[in-house]
Amino acid sequence: MGNCCSDVGGGMTAIGGTAPSTSTSNQNDAADWYFKSHGIHGIFSQIELSFSATNLRDRDVFSKSDPMVVVYIQERDGAFTEVFRTEVVLNSLNPTWITKYTITYQFEIVQILLFRVFDVDTQFHNVEVKMLKLEEQQSLGEASCALSEIVSKPNRSLTLDLVQREESVPSTHSQHRGKFTVHAEECFSSKTTAEMTLKCLNLESKDLFSKSDPFLVISKVVESGMSIPVCKTEVSKNDLNPTWKPLFLNIQQVGSKDSPLVIECFNFNSNGKHDLIGKVQKSLADLEKLHSGREGENLFLPTPVGHDNQNKALRSKLFVEKYSETVQYTFLDYLAAGFELNFMVAIDFTASNGNPRLPDSLHYIDPSGRLNAYQKAIYEVGEVLQFYDADKRFPAWGFGARPIDGPVSHCFNLNGSSNYCEVEGIRGIMMAYTSALFNVSLAGPTLFGHVINRAAMIASQSLANDAKKYFVLLIITDGVITDLQETKDALVKASDLPLSILIVGVGGADFKEMEILDADKGERLESSTGRVASRDIVQFVPFRDVQSKSSTHSDISEMFRIWDYITIDFHFADGPSVVQELLAELPSQFLAYMRSREIKPCS
Amino acid sequence: METKSRTLEITVLSAEDLRIDNKPVKKNAYVVVSVDPFNNKATKVDGEGGSYPSWNDKLVMEMPLQTRFVTLLVKCKGSRGEKTVGLARIPVMDFVGGYSPATCLQFLSYRLRDPKGLKNGIINVSLRVKEPLQDCSSQAAAAGGGNAATIGLGIPIDGRRDYGMVTGIPIWTGYPSNSLF
Repeated sequence: MGNCCSDVGGGMTAIGGTAPSTSTSNQNDAADWYFKSHGIHGIFSQIELSFSATNLRDRDVFSKSDPMVVVYIQERDGAFTEVFRTEVVLNSLNPTWITKYTITYQFEIVQILLFRVFDVDTQFHNVEVKMLKLEEQQSLGEASCALSEIVSKPNRSLTLDLVQREESVPSTHSQHRGKFTVHAEECFSSKTTAEMTLKCLNLESKDLFSKSDPFLVISKVVESGMSIPVCKTEVSKNDLNPTWKPLFLNIQQVGSKDSPLVIECFNFNSNGKHDLIGKVQKSLADLEKLHSGREGENLFLPTPVGHDNQNKALRSKLFVEKYSETVQYTFLDYLAAGFELNFMVAIDFTASNGNPRLPDSLHYIDPSGRLNAYQKAIYEVGEVLQFYDADKRFPAWGFGARPIDGPVSHCFNLNGSSNYCEVEGIRGIMMAYTSALFNVSLAGPTLFGHVINRAAMIASQSLANDAKKYFVLLIITDGVITDLQETKDALVKASDLPLSILIVGVGGADFKEMEILDADKGERLESSTGRVASRDIVQFVPFRDVQSKSSTHSDISEMFRIWDYITIDFHFADGPSVVQELLAELPSQFLAYMRSREIKPCS
Repeated sequence: METKSRTLEITVLSAEDLRIDNKPVKKNAYVVVSVDPFNNKATKVDGEGGSYPSWNDKLVMEMPLQTRFVTLLVKCKGSRGEKTVGLARIPVMDFVGGYSPATCLQFLSYRLRDPKGLKNGIINVSLRVKEPLQDCSSQAAAAGGGNAATIGLGIPIDGRRDYGMVTGIPIWTGYPSNSLF
């Protein structure tokens, strides 16, 4: 049985325009829900790719080549699937194609694209592009890249050399097949949000024994003439001259700045039947004019008189106290302005991992090339983040081990140097990791404090130099930390820096205590001096290494039988891994940091 | 040459989970920010926020160089007068000589404790120190790896944005460069 009485207080709250839209996704709830229910989290902008090429080879005898581009995407199993074809440009070796390919940009996966340019033979020109059989066309070359490579370039254009596949004999003279350029543009509806404070004077009293309790409803008028409510203000009790709290409307919510809006003022009644006090019809542009002119607009009441609906003008007036517009920049805007994500990694070298020379150790380097849990985690995070780092030099540390001659270090440079901590590329991390394994003796205990402080120092120096960098520290560990309070202190101190920390737990330990560090699952972190973390900068996820990657039914039941873990993470062939879900949160954290400090991407 | 004080711009943002006698605060909470016993300013009262009030009130105060703490006192205006809800003390070293340059906008949060010393909520502020003539940052000294090799008096050039950093002589020479706090 439901409530006997409705929650009047709830009915009086403002809906729809209460806060600036901080969503980092499309302003489309249905699309958001669709993506989330299919496991795609985080931001996902739509990108439009346009193509051009120069110096293509001439294949036709009597005229120039007639080129067309076919776009392929690399699937999880490595195979390429065709997704798009441009139109055919007649007779050109330096074509610019018009048709554009729209792709959803996903931060947390590496989207590899392959472009093949074909010369379409003359006899196929009256056929639709889709129907053309590629085997019967002549290849002019191909090029491939990752989508993140394109969007992280300052002008969002990437030029690649076209190569011919299946070149069995490497030629001694250079094969000029020309160059291929891909340009990316973000499709967005509108980034502008209008903030306004509305007030009314001299409203009529609709209640018998008291003044009105007015609130506003703003609706947009659609093509058919219907009006659809967009937002409503809170109720101002017993006030004939109310000023409501600021409203935030994204231009896209109402269509455009010139779209007609109906603003109705109602008197609130707890029985749900609100009386209309008056209304005006204005667009956002009109409201802006009202504000700058400091004028008021008279409300009117539509009264049916005979056949016409005449409008009775009232003494009441609507004023726009404040009006301002702000632009909500996207993650890609920041990238285009030169902002970077800098990757740093710290690896657990405590003895609980097991002797690296034995196959059951978490640090075992398999001669057959199979990656161990540490290598998998480094690769999964690093291969996505590397594109957002301009110089591809990554600080890499180990902790919990004794270097050749010395005491246990809780933060030593993985490359073995005592001066600098960076390595070159993901390959550099892997090489430094394997060589460090045999140059240190695993010890303990597991402490994160030193590594976090080192990372914080780097972020702090970058901040002092006003660099446009955001840092991501990946800590891979097999065990529970020994001194939780020291780690909390380091985290709280670092919480105001442009830094996010991803902690991946490998192996079979019980990581319950580690979840305390992730504020999503608990409370805000508190240091021993009473300071509280101002942001949640830590995310923790257990990375269970599953032997086989297949998701067939028999394998799953086999796994349930063999292991008696309560939670098991599977890496299904068609779903995101847990690390990818971690990564998907990063752009939102980046945007939240930049927006709260009002750091704008200005190139 | 030395200025007697610096300007502190502190915006008291919000507070969380305030209680009086273990019951959530109903309304009318406000905050008194003090730099020393004689130098304090108060925010407006939040009539609606209840035990999660938000003020977003920016206060500008002069902070003498030897100040060690900025005190935040959360009070509540009730029908029977004012009650102290909780207190937090921000060590100046947390925002000067910490990881962020003092002139940078910093967001800080602190645990509030009631007059009996028990935990009573969290307070969130953002603050920034304006245009000190002598920017003291032991973080900059520590950045040189602990060796005080590059120490000099720095005066920001006119027209530089607030984010300009100069290396200065730390006043608190006893500040250990590798401490956790």
